[in-house]
Amino acid sequence: MAKRILIIDDDPDFVAGIKSILDTAGFEVDVAYDPKTGQKELQSQTYDLLLLDIMMGRGAEGVMIARKLRKDAKLREMPVLIITGMREQIAFLFPGEPIHPRFVEVDELVEKPVEPTMLIEKVNALIQAAEVRKALTQ
Amino acid sequence: MTETYTFNFMKEVSSLLHAADGNPFPMCVQCGSCSGSCPVAAYMDYTPRQIIAMVNAGLKDQVLNSNTFWYCASCYQCSVRCPQGISITELMYALQRYSIWKSRYQEGLIGPSFSEAFAKTIVNAGRTFEPILAPSYIFRFKLREFFLEVQNATELMLKGRLPLLPPRIKRLDNFKRMIRKIIPIGGLA
Amino acid sequence: MKDYAYFPGCSLEKLAISYHTSALETSKKLGARLMELDDWNCCGSTTYFHIDELLAYTLSARNLAIAEKTGLDLVAPCSACYKNMYFTAAHLKKDPELAEHINYALEEDDLHFSGNIRIRHLLEMYAQDIGPEEIKTAVTHPLDGVQIAPYYGCQILRPRKDHESVEQPHYFEDLISAIGATPIDYPLKTRCCGGSLIISSRTAALSMVRNLLHTAVERQADVIATACPMCQINLECYQQSVNQEFNTNFSVPIMYFTQLVGVALGIPSKKLGIGKEFISVMPVLASE
Repeated sequence: MAKRILIIDDDPDFVAGIKSILDTAGFEVDVAYDPKTGQKELQSQTYDLLLLDIMMGRGAEGVMIARKLRKDAKLREMPVLIITGMREQIAFLFPGEPIHPRFVEVDELVEKPVEPTMLIEKVNALIQAAEVRKALTQ
Repeated sequence: MTETYTFNFMKEVSSLLHAADGNPFPMCVQCGSCSGSCPVAAYMDYTPRQIIAMVNAGLKDQVLNSNTFWYCASCYQCSVRCPQGISITELMYALQRYSIWKSRYQEGLIGPSFSEAFAKTIVNAGRTFEPILAPSYIFRFKLREFFLEVQNATELMLKGRLPLLPPRIKRLDNFKRMIRKIIPIGGLA
Repeated sequence: MKDYAYFPGCSLEKLAISYHTSALETSKKLGARLMELDDWNCCGSTTYFHIDELLAYTLSARNLAIAEKTGLDLVAPCSACYKNMYFTAAHLKKDPELAEHINYALEEDDLHFSGNIRIRHLLEMYAQDIGPEEIKTAVTHPLDGVQIAPYYGCQILRPRKDHESVEQPHYFEDLISAIGATPIDYPLKTRCCGGSLIISSRTAALSMVRNLLHTAVERQADVIATACPMCQINLECYQQSVNQEFNTNFSVPIMYFTQLVGVALGIPSKKLGIGKEFISVMPVLASE
């Protein structure tokens, strides 16, 4: 059965590109273009992985979603891969500084632009790791 | 110039606002109450009513290249009068947000660089410091404006109304960590 | 003696220092102590922070949380600070998820905002909480014959809060009558001064200031009373720029309402920060 991925990202051009890469690799992909719709999707459907943007809606809402998922018993185990262009988007605030890992509770964080092969590798690795974790706890 | 019609644009702007209260700008009836109420409309490339129509029509390039949303004075006159309950002011902020995130704005505007300089001062010190903001705009002024501004500053200083030292809050480290929890960029000591 | 938690805001530290001193002195005389918040930060104002709303809420929420600890009502003399704090509190109360996220950031400064605070503009505190009746009884030097334009500006009134009148407010006029002066009918009283456009869109802002001055002069105001540092600075410090730009000859005194009330209460002008303005207010004081 095809693995299911949800993308929450507000940039339609970026989403179109990444979705076609994932489609081609055989994933079943849903898209939410804003944080609110994204959260609704997560509650009503089951996904094997979430691809999450940071800067959306009112500001860095991706951080808010990631934090919320980690506190949700049902969704806690779902791997989250952040793909963000936030340093580009608000670089002027903290010029030259890296994204601060301590404050983003996710499995992996990648900065845009993303190279297709690397994306597929990371997605596969994260889904597999989650399955191993699940098997071990059962 | 050929205009690219991007019907996605309305959706993009919509999603910037959706997470907040929801802002029914696609329901605009083009009555013009906003433009009639706006004290800056005469100086905008397009009036607020026109900008809403253009966002809804997906005229992305024209909207982003206009000065309209950078000329909004945040007076909310349009928002309290809109019969459709649209917060036009919030829509203007959303367009500013979009424009800054994508680094796409009309050349020569002072608004974006002033905003950025302002924000930088606060995230670094917790307080505003007027003199440090001046370079973000004063060199773009025409000569006469430039001298008037310097004259004003001098008079303010003589009257004891201009700060000479940048103020900063006491618990600045806590403050900076607090900001990094919201925007996770930047190393911390 | 009623105490208020007081958030001066960045402008009142220097640019609008006379608003600060007159607010403290006049309030004290009216039996209200303004207790400055400990280690407050900038409210975020109206420039960048409206672009990043989560950051804007965080900045205001820190001040709200500090104020909440005092258990007092919070009062702000600047309309932009007031609007930011009022609506941050309203948004956080309405959206628990947002409040949780902002509070998670506030933990870094050992703070928590739970939403139990009343936020007032200094003008509302005078005109509504203390009230014109009480102020009237305290007046010793009524400003007889002084014609005052009640300039509300924008953000004290807008966006709309609860059910107050955003089109035809009258409390500023009532306050002016209480100190013995005459409020003029000022049709532009809720029209914007241009705010930070004075920096980013100079020509537009100057024309807005010109209209405000023109109507005040036409209606024979001796002075324009303001309740916001941005309004005062735009109307006063840029009056000369307006004259140059539009070939006019305005010389209209602009005073904070706290200075005018202070004068009527017999507080010496120096204690009200009078003397720091570009356009002398002596004609106003001489006529009382």
